[in-house]
Amino acid sequence: MSGALEALHLTKIIGERTIVDDVSFTLQPGEVFGFLGPNGAGKTTTIRMLVGLIKPTHGTVTVCGFDVRRQFEEAMRCIGCIVENPDLYRFMSGRENLEHFARMLRVQRAEIERVAALVNLNHRLDQRVGTYSLGMRQRLGIAQAMLGSPRVLILDEPANGLDPAGIREIRELIRGLAAERGMAVFVSSHLLAEIELIADRVAIIHKGKILRSGPVRDLISSQRMMEIKVGDVERAAAVLRDRGVELTTTDDLVFAAIDEPAAPPLIAALAQNGVDVFHARRRVQSLEEMFLEATGGETVD
Amino acid sequence: MMIPLVQNETLKLLRRRRFAIVVGIMFVILVLVSYSQYRQLRQLKNANWRADLQERIARAENRLRRGQINAAWARSMRAEIRRLQFYLDRGINPEQPTAPLVVRTFANAAGWLLPLLVAVLGSDIVSAENAEGTDKLLLTRPVRRRKILTAKLITLWLFASLTLLMGAVIAYVVTAPVLPAAGWDAPTYNGFQMSGNAFKLDAVRQLPLWHDALIAYGLQWFALLAVASISLMLSVIFKSSAASIGTMIASLIGGTILTRVSPDWTAGKYLFVSALPLADYYTGQAPPYDGMSMAFCIGLLGAWAVGALCVAYALFTQRDVFG
Repeated sequence: MSGALEALHLTKIIGERTIVDDVSFTLQPGEVFGFLGPNGAGKTTTIRMLVGLIKPTHGTVTVCGFDVRRQFEEAMRCIGCIVENPDLYRFMSGRENLEHFARMLRVQRAEIERVAALVNLNHRLDQRVGTYSLGMRQRLGIAQAMLGSPRVLILDEPANGLDPAGIREIRELIRGLAAERGMAVFVSSHLLAEIELIADRVAIIHKGKILRSGPVRDLISSQRMMEIKVGDVERAAAVLRDRGVELTTTDDLVFAAIDEPAAPPLIAALAQNGVDVFHARRRVQSLEEMFLEATGGETVD
Repeated sequence: MMIPLVQNETLKLLRRRRFAIVVGIMFVILVLVSYSQYRQLRQLKNANWRADLQERIARAENRLRRGQINAAWARSMRAEIRRLQFYLDRGINPEQPTAPLVVRTFANAAGWLLPLLVAVLGSDIVSAENAEGTDKLLLTRPVRRRKILTAKLITLWLFASLTLLMGAVIAYVVTAPVLPAAGWDAPTYNGFQMSGNAFKLDAVRQLPLWHDALIAYGLQWFALLAVASISLMLSVIFKSSAASIGTMIASLIGGTILTRVSPDWTAGKYLFVSALPLADYYTGQAPPYDGMSMAFCIGLLGAWAVGALCVAYALFTQRDVFG
């Protein structure tokens, strides 16, 4: 079976401007897919194409095997989403909002209690959404997206406006939905740390193009470095180069491109050659650094 | 499938309090009308209505003789003279106010007031979803866009009809305590037609008031459905409800001014506002342009409504929804 959500060569051109350029990815059931990019990179336009709000210039979106353009109703029955802000009807109560969307989906009223419990919103359900905090609206948005038990969940910047406790709560909820219910969850964010914690796989988008994509672990481990603080940088570099290690140096640090198992013999060799080793530690490049490197150091906001 | 969607739209429309505002406006206006009619009734008690009618006819004839008024105005004034003469000849006082008569008259007033109120109802039915960002959710549920727009159209038609009905009910309830409440079977005379300068009496219909009122309300109802359809289109086109309601009011008032100022510009008869006061034309008021028969007016409003709905559906189902 193909993925739960499949985007193939998605492109959106408006006038002369290419907003999204040949974006492809596949989400498997049970995985959290991170969509990372600065504001204005084309994240929201891509999401709007995924859910049929914007017609792609080229390319197709398939949800649970249904083409979003040609089999809109079947595809949308399989998907729950928040696009940009969790905008709900402010002049109605939380319950009325959920009832509104439950009627469109033709699901039972018991569903409303279930999804409200899922996001801990039962106690405020009868108040007007206009009185909700942004965090509560975010949770109501997720509750709304969970109506009808979709197999794919699309969340645009779900951490926006939440306090640290709220972010952790949402993160646990998302991980739980993927692990326990086998949902495919698409999460967009401009926060690298957030994606690092939540996603299994990540695609990095910049200026409408996907720069890199792959499992979060791979993207990080492919960039492993050993940071070694030594007394004599030049002698240490010579010793390591003799043993075929690629490296860069600073005043008192050597960055060696080696994996952990290769470290002990090299440190022993340094000691034998009279180089003082003060410390050696594995340095994991964060997504942030990787992102800056991949985008050529352009500003991220 | 349509019923839950119409239920949703009805809930939203009521919760935005648009209908409450519309009913409130009608209530205030009708209370004022009822008070003025009550005063008129008290004055009429000792007035000689025959002399009054004769005086009105004489005044109109004087103005006609003096000239200085444009052709359309003169034509409708001539029709009015014949109409008053007709009542005079048959010994009927057209001014005797009764509650049923106020209800009947409201159908004509509705030709100008209710299109504005329906514009208030319809102006934000689509544009507000856009302005508040809720369209992103509404349009990503497993319901096709054309079904959503159809639900909105049905809801708007429903409330346009309800507005007219409420107007009639309020008109009766407000006036019945102060004016004679009976009189539904009083005779009415309608269908005064001009053929050239001759007055065609054979087209005049005598109907009991209730029957006459039903026809007038039926015509006005049709006109309101057309207005609702145009209002829906404006709500689809404009992102803000202020822009769509403003355009509607401008075209209603601007169109009316245009037909009054330049009756020579005959293309004006194809404007939808020219055909809007169907109940007035049924009652006997001359339309602003030649060749505007009742069938023409109904056809014109129908064509405008169909055209507006085509634009609304094409735009709504095809367009990209950005933030």
